[in-house]
Amino acid sequence: MPRNLKITLAILSLAVLIGLISLRSLHRRITGLKENPTSEEQARRDLLATTTSAPTDARMQTKIFWAAGPDKIAPVQVALALSPDPVKRAKQVLNELITDAPAADQRTLPADAVVLGFYILPDGTAIADFSEALASETPSGILSEQMAVDSIKSTLENNVPGLSRLKILIHGQEVETLAGHVDLTGFFDLNPPSAQSPSAPASNPAPSGTKK
Amino acid sequence: MLNRQRIPFLAAGHFFISAILFCVRNSFSLVAIISLATAFVLTARPRSSTAGLQAPASTLPAQGQPTTNVPPQQAAPPPSAPPQVAPQPPVHNGPVIVIDPAHGGTDTGARGQNGVIEKDLVLLMARITRYALEREGFRVVMTRNDDSNPSYDDRAAIANAYRDVIFVSFHISSTGTPNTARAYFYKFSETPPNASAITTNANTLPITPAKTTSLLGWEEAQRPFGDASHRLADILQADLTLRFPGSSAAASGVAVRGLRSAAGPAVAIELSNVAVSDRNQLVEMVEPVATAVVHSITATRPSGGQSGVPGTR
Repeated sequence: MPRNLKITLAILSLAVLIGLISLRSLHRRITGLKENPTSEEQARRDLLATTTSAPTDARMQTKIFWAAGPDKIAPVQVALALSPDPVKRAKQVLNELITDAPAADQRTLPADAVVLGFYILPDGTAIADFSEALASETPSGILSEQMAVDSIKSTLENNVPGLSRLKILIHGQEVETLAGHVDLTGFFDLNPPSAQSPSAPASNPAPSGTKK
Repeated sequence: MLNRQRIPFLAAGHFFISAILFCVRNSFSLVAIISLATAFVLTARPRSSTAGLQAPASTLPAQGQPTTNVPPQQAAPPPSAPPQVAPQPPVHNGPVIVIDPAHGGTDTGARGQNGVIEKDLVLLMARITRYALEREGFRVVMTRNDDSNPSYDDRAAIANAYRDVIFVSFHISSTGTPNTARAYFYKFSETPPNASAITTNANTLPITPAKTTSLLGWEEAQRPFGDASHRLADILQADLTLRFPGSSAAASGVAVRGLRSAAGPAVAIELSNVAVSDRNQLVEMVEPVATAVVHSITATRPSGGQSGVPGTR
């Protein structure tokens, strides 16, 4: 057998051997990807996720409003480390509202939704900028959209002082409706005078629970 | 023998050909005669049927007797069989009812796992409600009567073309307790529009100056009718709660986009929900909903057209 041919066969055998060895680890990676699919929104959330709490943040009881039945929301007591800065605090409670629902059927906002930004204007107007998933994955219907907005409103009202009204943006833009029904072109009142009276609850009240 | 048999055939053929030639020669005259006869028959029929409705045969005077000006019922009232008069729907001078089946076209609305599609069921609901309202003498207009999808503004424009209008929008939710129904009215922000517009910083003027004009903007067309809509929704919700136990006791004020630009009392009705196991569960809700709508509108706007709802035009 010529020497050149021997060398070629040896190189080819070596390449096949290396391929077989790497194939195993490649297969393992593909299997891992299948088990943990990461959506674009989740990847963005991971990227945008700032430290939700700083070491200086005081741990306190918050009221997060999740669904307490098919047509009402109710507060759940959650112990969270909250920032004294109202913008950071608003993001913390909204992130908690989205990501940490006690059960799947208590969720009012889609799991893929992300708080892209939160701003507070001097007059107390809060602007919450959510990702596209909030509009595209909220179930269509007046009731479901109302519950989504009410859970955001009530969670902010109960945990971030000094807010007067809320504007919801989707990906930085004003959109006509949340998922086809609830009007997002206007503002939602936070702590309105009419809600101070006992005859005007924010949404069908239900007994509150404690999560942590 | 053969000749004898053939003679009648020949004569018939000859007669047939002669008839054709006669028709061709006098075609104009024949067409005129046929047209006159048809016109006479067509005009004569409605008269006789109307006469039958207004004055039954038993009440007509006998031939030869002088006709009087006495009404037929007084002239000869049959003791046991009153004259059968076709029921006429009451003429209503009240508002025009604009019925809005939500969604349509490529926008299917909520979809259930068992094939329930919101846009189809709300159209069915709208048609049945239309029939029920028309039976009561209301004039009804639909924002869509097919699988089209007019924009929110197009739907509002249909309503706003009338001076006195009530707007009713139909929806089916994807969540909520099954076999319940909710009535909604539009709830505006209590903060006046642009009263505290977005500012670049605390010391600058608002980007959008406050509105000083008294003209009503299209986007705020529903605002003056808030109370009227609230009252109509409350009456409707009370009726719906009686028909569908478990429904909420009071109507909800929600910023439902489809109601915002309607210049008249406007309500939305939403049934729960498309996730039912059997489509017929929702279909069975349609007729009670239609009845509730008729009752509520009649309660707030009695016949005669005078508004019972403050804030209506």
